Amino acid sequence: MTCEEFSTAGLELGSAESDGVLQNAAREHLRECPHCAVLHENWMILRDDLRGLAAETANAEASPRVEMRLLEEFQTKHRTVKAQRSGVILGWSLAAAAALVFAVSGTSWYLHRVPSVAGIQSNSRNAAANKGSQGAGSEAGEILVASNDSGDFALLPDSMPPAPQDATVVHVQMQRAALGALGLTVNEEHAGDWIQVDLLVGDDGLPQAVRLPQTASEASN
Amino acid sequence: MHIGSHDTDDVLLKRSAKGDQLAFAELYHRHQGALFRFALRMTGSSWAAEEIVQDVFMTLVREPRKYDPSRGTIGAFLYGVARNRIMKHLERTPRDFSLDEAGEAGRESHPQLREHMTPARWAELRERREQVRAAVSELPPEFRETVVLCELEEMSYDEAASALECPVGTIRSRLHRGRALLLAKLEMLREVPKRANACRG
Repeated sequence: MTCEEFSTAGLELGSAESDGVLQNAAREHLRECPHCAVLHENWMILRDDLRGLAAETANAEASPRVEMRLLEEFQTKHRTVKAQRSGVILGWSLAAAAALVFAVSGTSWYLHRVPSVAGIQSNSRNAAANKGSQGAGSEAGEILVASNDSGDFALLPDSMPPAPQDATVVHVQMQRAALGALGLTVNEEHAGDWIQVDLLVGDDGLPQAVRLPQTASEASN
Repeated sequence: MHIGSHDTDDVLLKRSAKGDQLAFAELYHRHQGALFRFALRMTGSSWAAEEIVQDVFMTLVREPRKYDPSRGTIGAFLYGVARNRIMKHLERTPRDFSLDEAGEAGRESHPQLREHMTPARWAELRERREQVRAAVSELPPEFRETVVLCELEEMSYDEAASALECPVGTIRSRLHRGRALLLAKLEMLREVPKRANACRG
């Protein structure tokens, strides 16, 4: 072992960190080299001083106030965490309850809404029918229904039967007197009545044939 | 909840993270002493050492998930946090300690006057301890922490390497350098063997 090697490894003589072979070599060098012997002796004294220094503070600990502060912080933190958890649980519970109430009320509203809509529609239909029967003048000639059922039509005078693909059935309300303008005979006692009439309109837009409802035709007769 | 001495630090930390105060207290008692001494020997101030220990355990209270078991033991993790705090403290603090701080740390650690010791010998011993303490505190931090852990705390090289998160080879070389610096700073020790022998004789 050289002096340089001794200064690196030899100071660990007797230390658990140094292996046996190295320690033997260091001891041998120590016997031969007075310089390294002084170095080693100095180191042993310094090591004793370091151990003395360590022993003086070996039982040194943080004061109890540090532990007290830490425990306070610990309690505060975990109280906060518990409160946060409770808050989250409460929040979710409220949200779930609100969603449930919303779903129930929505379903209930929908179930009540369907019949009322149906009622409104039927009421409006009735109102229209009533208006029609009461004879609102503004609705004269209004197209109500159209269908291409061309059966039971009576040709109007001077009209040619239209080809089925060119004809359109128009359902209109008109005063019975208006049938006279189409060349039909009208009972003058009921000339002011409003009746429903199906007109077979040709591709030129002019009525070619007419169909009266049973009551109306009876009346017109 | 019962705390046993057989409970590992990891178990205690898990229980502590769930709000078990006893587990946290046990963890604190297991590690605070060593951390306090490490900080005290690094900073030379018991006030600073207490602040550092408090900071280290505050980290454990506030962010227990910072500890990753795959990277080492809780002890090593705590040393790592303490080391960061110590380095910050040393950066902020002037290298020369104030007389008050030195006195504060020194009061607790004066050598005891024993019956066989003359007052002159006691004074000499006290003076030498102060010189050694000053020499240690003047070492550059990376050498100082190695000397503190290996020579004062008597940690093995492996333990020191784990605490300082560096290879064992680095610990060896830093320790060698630290010892050489200490010997160089305490040149007066060269004459001590003669004096010591004289005292023994």
